[in-house]
Amino acid sequence: MSNHIDTSAYSAVTAAIRSEAARLLAGGEVSAVIGYLPARRKGSAQPAIITSADQAAELIFSPACVNNLAVYLTKAKKEVPKSGRIAITAKSCDMRALAGLIGESQLQRSDIHIIGLPCPGVLSSVADPSALLTTDTVASKCLECEFNLPQGADFTPVVNVTAPRGPSRYAAEIARLEAMTPAERWSFWKAQFSKCIRCYACRQVCPFCYCEQCMCDRNRPQMVETTPRPAGNLAWHIIRAIHLSGRCAGCAECERVCPMDIPLNLLNRKMARELKELYDYEAGFEPQEKGPLNSYLEKDDQSFIK
Amino acid sequence: MRSPGKRAAVRVVPDNETKMQKHISEQNLKALLDRLISTGTRVIAPRVETGTLLYGPIRDASQIDLSRLPRRSAKETFFPVCEDILSYEKHGQQVTVGDVDPARFAETVLVGVRPCDAAAVPVLDAVFTWDYNDAFFLERRRKTTVIGLGCTTADDACFCTAVGLAPDSSTGSDLFLTPLKSGGYACQICSEKGERLVAAHGDLFTAADHAETVPFATPSPGNIDLKQVKSWLDHHFEDPLWDEIATRCVGCGACAFVCPACHCFDIVDEGTEKQGRRRKSWDACGFGKFTLHASGHNPRDLQPKRYRNRIMHKFKYYDDKFGQTLCTGCGRCIRICPVGIDIAAIVEDISQRS
Repeated sequence: MSNHIDTSAYSAVTAAIRSEAARLLAGGEVSAVIGYLPARRKGSAQPAIITSADQAAELIFSPACVNNLAVYLTKAKKEVPKSGRIAITAKSCDMRALAGLIGESQLQRSDIHIIGLPCPGVLSSVADPSALLTTDTVASKCLECEFNLPQGADFTPVVNVTAPRGPSRYAAEIARLEAMTPAERWSFWKAQFSKCIRCYACRQVCPFCYCEQCMCDRNRPQMVETTPRPAGNLAWHIIRAIHLSGRCAGCAECERVCPMDIPLNLLNRKMARELKELYDYEAGFEPQEKGPLNSYLEKDDQSFIK
Repeated sequence: MRSPGKRAAVRVVPDNETKMQKHISEQNLKALLDRLISTGTRVIAPRVETGTLLYGPIRDASQIDLSRLPRRSAKETFFPVCEDILSYEKHGQQVTVGDVDPARFAETVLVGVRPCDAAAVPVLDAVFTWDYNDAFFLERRRKTTVIGLGCTTADDACFCTAVGLAPDSSTGSDLFLTPLKSGGYACQICSEKGERLVAAHGDLFTAADHAETVPFATPSPGNIDLKQVKSWLDHHFEDPLWDEIATRCVGCGACAFVCPACHCFDIVDEGTEKQGRRRKSWDACGFGKFTLHASGHNPRDLQPKRYRNRIMHKFKYYDDKFGQTLCTGCGRCIRICPVGIDIAAIVEDISQRS
């Protein structure tokens, strides 16, 4: 059953981030604020990097503010000025990406000013940005979000938000896949990957895909077939899932942006579970230089070596 | 310069000549498709494939889903996502190269094509017959009959009316269907190909009566004047606008890949030293390695230069070369852009600047 989600908090959050952003820019505390501005289509929003206090009055937070803006602070975005302190608006899911990037020395905590966004949830897709936020249209990640009020931001508006709660769609889908035989599971993923057109939207929005040279773009030598065909598609998606294991904190941007509707976050969530079971580790809570897959401990489970 | 589309052109029946109307019931349209499939014609139609609506070959007419615009355009019927263009094998010092024979391409009926997708095909004729006649594209084009379908709904990403088209444009269609209020379709015959198809299956069509058609959609794009857009682009190769837009762009290829008119492709050899294939697959100007030269130099080394290329190619270069616009206003790139880049808003902004 679809239930409406209380979205009354958005206007209070919007007012608070406007005044905070204006204060920061007017006082020269930051050189830019990364936030969301309204766009042409009804209900739509888009990421923006604003540099003047006047523009701060246009910032918004709404159910269409889906993007994880942390991607704009990574090496992948060379166009964003890296000089001086930069403020960024972040939902709690986005803050886990910031923690990961700080842990991996991609960011200095002192170089960013985090404006936390109390968040009742965002839309799963913005194909129709004016859609009403309900337990049906809300992003799957929001149904299992435990931190609607961001922790550890430099500024968080004091606004009460009610969390959309519901059964985890990811847990249900992982359980369904785990109950399959390997042949059935293979045919599920084969059908999904056959839709991949290698647009790399999943890679480009991911805050952790900041490699200067993605191995999938190498052609001397070629590591992965570049054409959208079964061999290269499978290789790309496995590389992506493995490379993000222990680092992905579940913002689910890969899945949201996939123009072919491939449920990419299922792979990330499954890997996150493995990491939790094997190493009792969850990514994105503490800035940590090395996750379990990048470090070696004597007590690590070695039973898989046969 | 060769006239655009000459090689593949289908003679369009002038308005005053026939523009014959027939009617076809929903049931008979399905019967037509089933009959075509059973006689070996490849029928391509919008159908759900692993959860996503895409144009693709159907096994029977019950698979067809005409409820909305497919996620990718119909261009892949003529210009596939990826195709082999040759194969090679090496035995000792002996190398054999195998060509792909376009004659093996199947006779095709492409049905349920929205005006924004159908109109893009003649636009592509221009480039695929320009400095080189692309045999793959042209042979598929020659063997395909396009059955268009008018739009009765539109969303606020639709902007066909701003780029010279409309929800009732039959450009690029051989037959054009308009839904009737009483069910079934009015069927306009737009070309000889369309005429032949109707003649071969005359039993499934009825004479047009005065049955009322469902009103066409009325997209409401902003105020866009393509001439003004072009004249601004003519003089603003360098402009801060490109930085403003592209700072936001994350550099994926989604917009180009869902576009009915984008046609850049890459050619790579895949396989081993012993055997392999040369393949052609879609490329996109969003990618960092787009136009990277073997020397290491890239004339479009930053995202703003690549995004500028996207707009220039659609609204200036293609017009300079072929007198056409490389955008049919389908709105797909607007709906799927990961960061909400809205080409209709950008072009409207440019139009107002002129």
